[in-house]
Amino acid sequence: MTNVTADMSNPPPTSALPAIASRGHGGPSTLQRLAQQPRVVIGGGIVLAILLVAIFAPWLAPHDPLGQDLLHMLAPPMWMEGGSADFPLGTDSLGRCVLSRVLFGARVALLVALCSALGAMIVGSTLAIVAGYFGGKIDRLICYIVDLWMSFPPVVLSLILLVGLGTGVDKVILAVVLVDWTRFCRVVRADVLVTRQRDYVNAARLMGFSHLRTMLREVLPAVLPLMITLFSIEMGVATIVEATLSFIGLSVPPEMTTWGQMLADGRGDIRTALWCMLVPVFAIILTVLGCNLLGDGLRVALDPRLRSRGE
Amino acid sequence: MFHVTCMIAVRRLLAAIPTLLLLALVVFVVLRLLPVDPLATMLPPSATAADAAAMRQQLGLDQPIPVQFLIWLRDAASGSLGTSINFRQPVTGLIVAALPATIELALLGLILALFISIPGGVLAYVLHVRKRETAADVGVTVLQSVPAFLWGLLLIIVFGVLWPVLPFSGRIADDITLPGLTGFALVDLLIKGRFDAWLSALSHLLLPALALALGFAPLVIRVLRSSLIDAAREPYVEVARLRGVPESRILWRHMLKNAALPTITMIGVQFGFLFGSALLVEMIFGFPGIGNLMVQAVKGNDMPLIQGIALLFCVLMLAINAIVDVLYVLMNPRLRVS
Repeated sequence: MTNVTADMSNPPPTSALPAIASRGHGGPSTLQRLAQQPRVVIGGGIVLAILLVAIFAPWLAPHDPLGQDLLHMLAPPMWMEGGSADFPLGTDSLGRCVLSRVLFGARVALLVALCSALGAMIVGSTLAIVAGYFGGKIDRLICYIVDLWMSFPPVVLSLILLVGLGTGVDKVILAVVLVDWTRFCRVVRADVLVTRQRDYVNAARLMGFSHLRTMLREVLPAVLPLMITLFSIEMGVATIVEATLSFIGLSVPPEMTTWGQMLADGRGDIRTALWCMLVPVFAIILTVLGCNLLGDGLRVALDPRLRSRGE
Repeated sequence: MFHVTCMIAVRRLLAAIPTLLLLALVVFVVLRLLPVDPLATMLPPSATAADAAAMRQQLGLDQPIPVQFLIWLRDAASGSLGTSINFRQPVTGLIVAALPATIELALLGLILALFISIPGGVLAYVLHVRKRETAADVGVTVLQSVPAFLWGLLLIIVFGVLWPVLPFSGRIADDITLPGLTGFALVDLLIKGRFDAWLSALSHLLLPALALALGFAPLVIRVLRSSLIDAAREPYVEVARLRGVPESRILWRHMLKNAALPTITMIGVQFGFLFGSALLVEMIFGFPGIGNLMVQAVKGNDMPLIQGIALLFCVLMLAINAIVDVLYVLMNPRLRVS
């Protein structure tokens, strides 16, 4: 409702790309707006840094993340008494280098984050555009499925799915997609409903564009900024889900290193070796924070309607 | 008044029945994808193929899936959710034993979350008014980036290890047995008048509930803040201001009451999310509730138990939605007439 009223107070957009194509209309370009938004710069910087760490982990890590050094079990980080520069962040109860493990853990975390956010975005937004564009029975059916899906707490649904699907990185990604497409569907559909009423969409239909072409060329670009924002936030959600599942021991086989596993391993030594747990905790929080800051900043920079509202 | 609210509740619950059936079917089908044979853990190593076939028949596993679903549905309607494979006990009994602990935890978590988020939401709104919204936004974003189960681990580190003041394992001290009247430890111990045991139960609840609350509060803060911003544009605010009502009174008495409505709806929608987080928090704190039961069931591929708990969560979510609808009518005088 608020969206509709907000729209009526604004002059109708002259372009099919209200947010992206503001270049050449005076005002700062999208890229400039993004660069001016500190949250985008900081959040994007964090995500990019973690992405680079994930890609170059084999070159950055001082040790094999699975290599056990039984002479150096539970060695403290280098700045603490008894620590050595060999193991900058100390070792765990099997003598594995915590720094190397946390660097390699970024690989699984980001792989799951990127793939599952992409999958959820594609599935959710496609259904949202179809539902919002055609309306009527199709819309009601899709909305009913979304409501049905959302009757489960996400954690419960992903646990059930993993029991059904079995474990492994691909299964985790599939589970996150199957759980979280509803987030995209619900939010994007509301935006499509508004876009569909715009004159340029009607004009496209009158000019004889097919439904598919109208959806792809006119509706999709209008909701793309929202999708990108949700994508960024979804990456953070997927990171948490992956960490949770691997903490429970359901996510990946033990020969892969994940942050959730490090948490589970470190929990046993919490009284003697705090660093085993603190390091992955901060890695997870930093990743999620980066995704959330980026998403928040993108939303403010890309969605003109939200700029004045404090949401 | 009472009549109307009852009608709404009944109507909502009736409308929820088809949803419930569909959800049960979805869970049933998903769990049948399971690559592991549930019989493997139930039979002794010396079992023959004939034994396996007999057991399969006894459990109804030789029937086609639609028939299995109908059998399960018939039993569920009569209150039996089958027998847990690992615990070798009725699923219903296991759930009934564990549920009060989870409800107690989730409710205390909700109360603590409100204690954090009402002042937090008002603070975020005040910062917004004073053009300091970036500070508030970034603060909320940082809080939102820490999920409840990480709060749990952080709280254990701070209040359990570095500064050991609170217990972080189990529901009550080991040497105390719960009287088991209602299953709610805090209620039972109060009825029995055992105050030191009550304190022990409360201190065991505190950290897990706080972890839940900290995970939940940022969501409430966000909604409350934007509802307050919306409320500030309403004419009654200006009227009150013209009448000379002090700003703080306008905020706390007038605006907060109106901003409460969307916030309550959001809390209702997200309360299931709170239950979901409770699942993980229980596991971290070794708290004997539904969450721990679910994790054990999932690890042991205990299908009847997983199915029962999933159904329980659906029922809980639908019940919560009905309660929220009723609350909404009670709190919004405009809806009472119709």
